[in-house]
Amino acid sequence: MLVVWLLAVALAGSLVTLWVPRQGAKVAAGIIGALLIILYIGLLLHPGQGVNVPWIPAWGIRFHLGSDGLSLFLLGLTVVMTEVAILASKPEWGRMYYFWILFLEFGSLGLFSALDLFLFYIFWEIVLIPIFFLLTSWSGVKGRRAAMKWLIMNLFGSLFMLIGVVAVAVIHTQPFGPLTFEIAQLAHLHMDARVTPWIFAAFFLAFAIKAPLWPFHGWMPDAYGEAPAPVTALLAGVMSKAGVYGFLRIMLPLFFPEFVRYQTGLLTLAVIGLVYGAFMALRQTDMKMVTAYASLSHIGMIALGIFSLTRVGILGATFQMVAHGLMIGGLFIILGLLEQRTGSRDISAMHGLNASAPRLAAYFLFFALATLGLPGLPGFVGEYLIIQGLVAHEVAFAVIAIIVLVMAAWYMLRVFQGVMQGPDRGQSILDLKAPQVWWIVPLAGLVLLLGVWPNGVTAAAVPSLYHAVHLFAVKGGGV
Amino acid sequence: MSSMHLMLPEYLLAGFVLLTLVGNMVVGDRVRVASWLGLIGLLSSFVVSASIWSVSLKPAVLLNGGVVVDNYSLLVNLFVLLAGIGAILLGWGETRWGQEFVALVLVSVLGMMILGLAGNTIVLFLGIEVLSLPLYILAASEHTAAGGEAGLKYLLLGAFSSGILLFGLALLYGALGSLSFINFASLTNVGTPMMWAGLSLTLVGIFFKLGIVPFHMWVPDVYEGSPSAVTQLMAFGTKVGAAAILLRFLDFGFYLSPQWWGPALGYLAVLTMIVGNLLALPQTDLKRLLGYSGIGHAGFLLVGVATHSLDGARAMLFYLLPYGFAVLGAFAVLIFVAGNQDSVTLSDLKGLASRRPLMAAFFIIVMLSFAGIPLTGGFVGKFYLLQAALFANQPGLAIGLVVGTLLGLGAYLRPVQALFSPADESRPVPQWTVGGAIVLAVAIIGTIGLGVYPTPIVHMVNQSANFFWLH
Repeated sequence: MLVVWLLAVALAGSLVTLWVPRQGAKVAAGIIGALLIILYIGLLLHPGQGVNVPWIPAWGIRFHLGSDGLSLFLLGLTVVMTEVAILASKPEWGRMYYFWILFLEFGSLGLFSALDLFLFYIFWEIVLIPIFFLLTSWSGVKGRRAAMKWLIMNLFGSLFMLIGVVAVAVIHTQPFGPLTFEIAQLAHLHMDARVTPWIFAAFFLAFAIKAPLWPFHGWMPDAYGEAPAPVTALLAGVMSKAGVYGFLRIMLPLFFPEFVRYQTGLLTLAVIGLVYGAFMALRQTDMKMVTAYASLSHIGMIALGIFSLTRVGILGATFQMVAHGLMIGGLFIILGLLEQRTGSRDISAMHGLNASAPRLAAYFLFFALATLGLPGLPGFVGEYLIIQGLVAHEVAFAVIAIIVLVMAAWYMLRVFQGVMQGPDRGQSILDLKAPQVWWIVPLAGLVLLLGVWPNGVTAAAVPSLYHAVHLFAVKGGGV
Repeated sequence: MSSMHLMLPEYLLAGFVLLTLVGNMVVGDRVRVASWLGLIGLLSSFVVSASIWSVSLKPAVLLNGGVVVDNYSLLVNLFVLLAGIGAILLGWGETRWGQEFVALVLVSVLGMMILGLAGNTIVLFLGIEVLSLPLYILAASEHTAAGGEAGLKYLLLGAFSSGILLFGLALLYGALGSLSFINFASLTNVGTPMMWAGLSLTLVGIFFKLGIVPFHMWVPDVYEGSPSAVTQLMAFGTKVGAAAILLRFLDFGFYLSPQWWGPALGYLAVLTMIVGNLLALPQTDLKRLLGYSGIGHAGFLLVGVATHSLDGARAMLFYLLPYGFAVLGAFAVLIFVAGNQDSVTLSDLKGLASRRPLMAAFFIIVMLSFAGIPLTGGFVGKFYLLQAALFANQPGLAIGLVVGTLLGLGAYLRPVQALFSPADESRPVPQWTVGGAIVLAVAIIGTIGLGVYPTPIVHMVNQSANFFWLH
């Protein structure tokens, strides 16, 4: 039941923020976010408590929520990143802003805990709406276009997925099965070889657009660039994981034979994204866009782990999802603070800022090093596992992935050197102050904890993955 | 129960039409008295329909097969009475449209109810005409050039389509030798050219009322020129009536021979969904936008009929309700924003989010329901239609539905984004009206309720469209 409480508090909390005084909205949202973190810790201590009741019996739809090793840490990522995003936002953005942030949290929590395909789809679309309004009202000059692009591109994928969702359930009823949307039951489905590629494509398109994977990232530069920093942190940190989570939760159990059949093509797609993101990151002059394309590259890496179809690769991807969410989210927030102070995002316009803001520089360096995969920090663990999984099957892709890791160091350090180091031209900015340090330190601490104790996540994730791999064996796919 | 009991909703409403007319003559504050009388008439008819529905009777064939009272017709009653109540409340206290407004609305609603229970071709035609004639007058009740144009256009094209419909019905009678839908079924399997022509012309007549492409040309102009309360009645009530008779006509009379009409309906549905939503995209006048959106939604309704299955019939019937709630809500906001103006453009919506946040929030919910976003009724309706299309093994319809939805998205999001633009300070701040607020509240509760917990209504619709001979 704790999962339900998480959702209920998030939804009720979002509505509460609408009725508090305008100046108190941030405080109220922060308290609700903290409450959700406490609830989540309770869930961590007593996992596996779900709820499963009929919702629309005529259509076999159930209200089925739960958390297992696959989703438990993504729920944690959601509550932590949302709280950080709330704390990093300005109070004057008003009630509606905090309402949408908490509503987004509600949607994300539902998305990561839904075990009924219909329920999953509901939350899948629900999370699009807050982002649309956040982009419409609280972003840069081109925010409206970015909002339209975000919603229409994502719904393009989602609506075809809706056909897939219904088609899967309809096929399950033939000839004598019950009409159900339970993911666990649909996993035993045997589909006609003529329709399967189409249904596979419908699901793949939706997840690939949301992640985003190359070449479905058309909305990404606009949305990441225009959104305020906390929203970009949520987009890159939490929302991008939704797409990848869809691959793991829905597509692997349902379409394992198709994954085996299309494996080379999928790996190629992921590796192109990996390389493309890295090159694009190298040639950006806008530090936020460098990070945005870096994120695209990282998602390509996570996808490589999943498409390797090995247990260790998928485990690495699962771990990297959580780690990447915390790291890239933290990095976007730091960049946001920097932009606030300098009024610019252009790397060439800034020099030697570490002289006046040593603390800001230190945290910037920490998150930059974490994303580029320094050993001892979690990025390294995830990438190591992914590459290990690749080596077992596809050495060529592993080699490319390692080369891109070197490029990652290059583009991240390029930004850091350009902005923080170099000759001090007398540009002086405000350093981090106490209230900001209070929430950046725990975030950094969490990243460090994941880096030195990855077993905390992987040990919990393995049983769920074992279940998934067991499913593959049932369906006759190799592991 | 006797026929008197079963048709009590219709008799009640007809009685209140007379009462309203009398009320118009005798009392001082005529419009207010007529409005109260009309509202009481619609509400009592609503309550009676609901109570007859709840005793779940067997279908009763009355008046020599001319009338079939069953759960289906009673549910249609509930829908169209809702539309009628909406029209009266939205037009509450409005003196510009003449004192006949309320009586005409009631007559039109009566026509829609007749369409719900029609069992033969004569009652079908009667229903269409009783529905249409008051609407011709109502469409012209705005004393402007646009109002006159709307009324005249609707009258001429409506009369033309009635002629086609009547010709089709006559040909059907000639070919089959019967007026009753139930008798058609056994006769239609061998298609003669005369029957084929009769069926096509009848369908064209109904499609005209429903606003199916390519018979949709009148819709945007008439919607634009008519008073908003009347447009709401056309968009919701007329659609319910026409869709109800289409389903009854085809699923009772031609259920054994879908080969004559199934494919044609499928293609028209896809065409309508795409064209309607596509044409909605560039509209800047909100009423025209809703007109084209209504065309698109007629296409969605047609999907349910075209699948020719029990699921399709139920899905179509279900879809009418979220669509109707969204129409009620959209027109309520439109009336608030319009104030004393004739029309509302997208730029009139600017700044509503900061000036009237609650109104803007409700408008957003309504638009999201039109677009079919989850947690609104529109999504559940589309999901049901999609289910029906795939169960009937017609992926083409499903893809058409998705493409239509995507195209419509652009049309519904532009008004939503306009809400957040800086306000034009020269425009007055929109004011709430009591009637409009009631309609809007019902529409929002309905939209969210259907989106979050549709189970009771799904159950009710499944009880109502129990055409067991379909599969």
